[in-house]
Amino acid sequence: MAEALSPLHHTITPGRYGVAGDVGITLGTRQIAGLWQIAGWQGFDRAAAPVLAAMGLHDGGSYRRAEQAGAVTAWRIAPDKILIEGAPDLSAHSSDDLVTLDLGHARTAITLGGAAARDLLMQLCAVDCSAAAFAAGAFIQTGIHHVGVLIHCTGPDSFDILVPGTWAETIWEALHHNALPHGYEVSADNNSRISGTNPT
Amino acid sequence: MKRLPSGGRIDRSTPLNIRFDGRTLPAFRGDTLSSAMLAGGVSLVGRSFKYHRPRGIYSAGVEEPGAMVHLRDGPRHEPNVRATVTEAFDGLVATSQNAWPSLSFDIGAVNNWLGPFFSAGFYYKTFIGPFRRSTRFWMMCETFIRKAAGMGRASYMEDPDQYEKRNAFCDVLVIGGGVAGLSAALAAGRAGAQVLLVEQDFELGGAVLSDPVGSAGDDWVARARAELQALDTVRILTRTTAFGAYDGDTYGLVERVSDHVKVPVAHQLRQRYWLVRAKRAVMATGAIERPLVFGGNDTPGVMLAESVRSYLNRFAVLAGQTIVVATNNNSAYAAAADLAGAGADVTLADMRTTPPVEARTLAETAGVRLLPGHGVIEARGGKRVTGARLVPVDGTGRAQGATQTVKADVIAVSGGWTPVVHLWSQRYGKPVFHGEGACFIPDGQDSHPLQGAGTAMAAASLSEVIAQGFDRGAEAAQAAGAPGDAGKAPDGFACRPFWQNGLHPAWAVLTAQGKTLGKAFVDFQHDVKISDIDQAHLEGYVSVEHLKRYTTLGMATDQGKLSNVNALSRMAELRGKAIPDVGTTTFRPPFTPISIGSLVGHGHGRHFRPTRLSPIHQWHVEHGARMTEAGAWMRPWYYPQYAEDLCTAYIREAAHVRAHVGMVDVSTLGKIAVQGPDAAEFLNRIYVNGWKTLAVGRLRYGVMLREDGFVLDDGATARLGVQDYFMSTTTANAAKVLAFAEHLLQTAWKDLRVHVTTVTDQWAAIAVAGPKARALLAKVSGADLGPGALPNNHLTHAMIGGVQVRIHRMSYSGELAYEIYVPAGYGRHVWQALHDAGGAFDLRPYGTEAMATLRIEKGHVAGPELDGRTTLKDLGLEGFASSKKPFVGSVLQQRPVLEDPQRPTLVGLEIEGDTGAKPGALLYAAKADAKGHGDGWVSSTTYSPALGRYIAMGLLKNGRTRKGDVVRVEDFVGGQSLTARVVSHHFFDPEGERKNG
Repeated sequence: MAEALSPLHHTITPGRYGVAGDVGITLGTRQIAGLWQIAGWQGFDRAAAPVLAAMGLHDGGSYRRAEQAGAVTAWRIAPDKILIEGAPDLSAHSSDDLVTLDLGHARTAITLGGAAARDLLMQLCAVDCSAAAFAAGAFIQTGIHHVGVLIHCTGPDSFDILVPGTWAETIWEALHHNALPHGYEVSADNNSRISGTNPT
Repeated sequence: MKRLPSGGRIDRSTPLNIRFDGRTLPAFRGDTLSSAMLAGGVSLVGRSFKYHRPRGIYSAGVEEPGAMVHLRDGPRHEPNVRATVTEAFDGLVATSQNAWPSLSFDIGAVNNWLGPFFSAGFYYKTFIGPFRRSTRFWMMCETFIRKAAGMGRASYMEDPDQYEKRNAFCDVLVIGGGVAGLSAALAAGRAGAQVLLVEQDFELGGAVLSDPVGSAGDDWVARARAELQALDTVRILTRTTAFGAYDGDTYGLVERVSDHVKVPVAHQLRQRYWLVRAKRAVMATGAIERPLVFGGNDTPGVMLAESVRSYLNRFAVLAGQTIVVATNNNSAYAAAADLAGAGADVTLADMRTTPPVEARTLAETAGVRLLPGHGVIEARGGKRVTGARLVPVDGTGRAQGATQTVKADVIAVSGGWTPVVHLWSQRYGKPVFHGEGACFIPDGQDSHPLQGAGTAMAAASLSEVIAQGFDRGAEAAQAAGAPGDAGKAPDGFACRPFWQNGLHPAWAVLTAQGKTLGKAFVDFQHDVKISDIDQAHLEGYVSVEHLKRYTTLGMATDQGKLSNVNALSRMAELRGKAIPDVGTTTFRPPFTPISIGSLVGHGHGRHFRPTRLSPIHQWHVEHGARMTEAGAWMRPWYYPQYAEDLCTAYIREAAHVRAHVGMVDVSTLGKIAVQGPDAAEFLNRIYVNGWKTLAVGRLRYGVMLREDGFVLDDGATARLGVQDYFMSTTTANAAKVLAFAEHLLQTAWKDLRVHVTTVTDQWAAIAVAGPKARALLAKVSGADLGPGALPNNHLTHAMIGGVQVRIHRMSYSGELAYEIYVPAGYGRHVWQALHDAGGAFDLRPYGTEAMATLRIEKGHVAGPELDGRTTLKDLGLEGFASSKKPFVGSVLQQRPVLEDPQRPTLVGLEIEGDTGAKPGALLYAAKADAKGHGDGWVSSTTYSPALGRYIAMGLLKNGRTRKGDVVRVEDFVGGQSLTARVVSHHFFDPEGERKNG
């Protein structure tokens, strides 16, 4: 059985890094399960509604707030584009009003947490990541080390960073260098596999 | 100079070991390098920029023009460090700079005697003017001038420390932690605003720190600090300088995280660069004391009066025992009184004939000898002040009687104060003149998000300082939307006199004839004398902008902090105008010098820019590939066997592909999903060729133009479904093509129902090429890939190694070739599966160098030909263009200049001899002189194993009619001269039998 490898499979080494003392940051990766993009034009919301409803979603959220339904998360990344994780094969929904695209291998999910997680984000992107401005459930599309990323706040001090796979290592290294002054830990339970289009 | 047995804000329980020029200095925690120098009796610290004059400690702050040193050694060595703002730390090592062979005996000091040659504008007059026809003499002279002039020397060693960038957002940024800044932060913080308070010193308090310990100001500051620290909306950053104010209410700060220790703690930063977006800002940056101008006013021992007071009260260092204080305002009376109280013999020469009673009383009570209507006309001494020549002066500072020389080891001067308005000026331009304070201040427009407060606005009393700070803070909080009430402003406290009340606007003490006794400096750091200003005026450089550039006044690292008003007043006097009529210049960032490291952060070396890696990258590394940069990508360049060099390896690899089969990682190709019911129409518009007839399962080579008619990019696009297309682009132009397509869809073609999405990250891509490619793929996939089942420009789906892949049959190498598209996560697995199965077919990986060789042999254009200067016709691609439809660039490609038959067109070049041509080499007719731009240029070059010779592609004027001609190939950069025969650029298999077979 072929194993789909994360771009970070050889990069991530569990352990404790940076300054001594309290661990300010935890870094890791997690598996992306079924990442699809749906897009349309005028009347997109109407065309997308049945697709979203089939996954338990309401409207795909807003431009800054993700919508979640169980294991499915939707990010409205443009007025007429929604990125959905945890989606089944959506290709059957393609029509003249809606196009679907499998991006399951195109992104890598880096997990970030800890008391200094927001500080680390503020080191890397020019967006207000304070708790007041970036609360749980919100997401932003911004740049880290000149690479476009999507950052989803999943808890008070926890985030998922979706990065393009070919840039994943350079972003991981940027996170590493910037996290050292905080002291950080890479947990041993990282999942270096990804789940996109499944081989038969 | 001595350290007093008690007093000061230093921690006497923590002595520090610090050294200057090998000499151990007595220091404690809380000292600066300069206070330790004074405590240790160091008066001579450095040599001046141009004349190499002895310079000592002039100030106690960021305005310091003379006490600049080399700090630390080895890779942490740092030049031009101001001793006055360098916190003492254990193990500090500093050395003097700009002196040889020693600080005490400096050969460069001969410049002091050659002063007449080095006056304003000497560069232009002495070296450039007489030699207008050539710059050679000037360049030779400049070498020596640069060695003689200047400051410290930087290290070439790699900085071992880490620097970091950080963004911050706040409602109110308060710049300055003195009384005004603390008042502003209190008001804004109480109102509930998110406040960032920054202070460049390592302690809050500002001017209060120069008061004696236990003064009323100490309690005031302590209370304010405690209240601010208790507010969770307030963040305080000390050791942090706001150095720049920029558009969008953005401010640059640098935080010196570990500058106060010898070596940063492991993994800790040296400095942090903050980029702050503030809704409102309060500039409570205080003021800098202004020098007086007289002969020898740069002699070590001449110091700013308040700085002498600061060394006394903050650091418990008495800078001299016999002190002359020279002033034109009230503020220096506090210094005189404090110094006398500490046991110094103090004489106070006030240029005013009738100082205010309050000031007189302060001085006389302290036992200061007061000389009203007097000024210092000359400092006596060489490497150290030994005396002061005093003279009665009139209202303009002209001598009115006989001089008297008094013994002195310090001359403490105060010419009033200059508000620190740099940040405001960076944002809003030139400040306005404040008559009473004889200084420039912000214009006070309410609409500015950045407002000044306190002595930065020339506030004339402490109550005014507090009120201004508090009001600006409250206003800023309210404007930022803070919900609360700022409450009542803090009460005031007793403090020293301010300078504005009764300041007498005269700053230079001259002879009755208007001359100075010796060199009298206005800009200490750039050695600009008052006579240089006179000369600039004499030669017509009367505008402040011209004055600045002709004399270099205010252009040193101190940015004119000390020199500005004194220079303007002199020019005003010479022109017979008032100071505001002469004008002032605009300040630019940074306020104080900042390290390049802090601006760079982690963005250096490997992280100078982001690096992009193929999903198969690690395999290449593990198998010994030499990698090369291709834009942001790292790609396998070649796979050396044993000790092969590049040439041997790529020739072997290319030859192997022609004979057997090879595979190359082409995951870097741009890949774009084009989706929607109008996708075919979109392709029809963006490509020059037609797309409406392309069937599902087919692919087609296409070329696209820019709107101006030049070729933008090429590549193959496959039709995967009825409204799903898969476009590939060159590696270099992937982002450009995607942005171009998105731009068209968002603007000109909003009618098209099409989405374009990059899928470069979704797919790994492997090109398999060579006569055995079909057999190899048929074996690993089990698919029927025969010519009938999968002709050229067709695609099919198959399984390789248990992974579903897409196989496109197409070729850029001229060989029987396929591109295999694999979901990225399986890229390495499929590559490995091919590699494992390839043994029977002698499959070898090949790199980008061999890939380029193959495409040049085939005559296929790539990046070097798609350079933005070539048209379809230039490249022989006009046959692709459809005449039945418009497309991007279809109109402008017909411009006469692009239709010129003499334009260089693509040709092949067979190089004569056994040396290859260099890309960029120019082409000339065989018998023509190699002058000018020639007839064209070499674009791509290689050794062709298939042809057994060096070949090249190039663009040659009238190239289509010159086949068979011999041309010269001239590489002027490398000094190479070759000849070549012009041939078709389709060197190998021009009929395409191999790729179509």
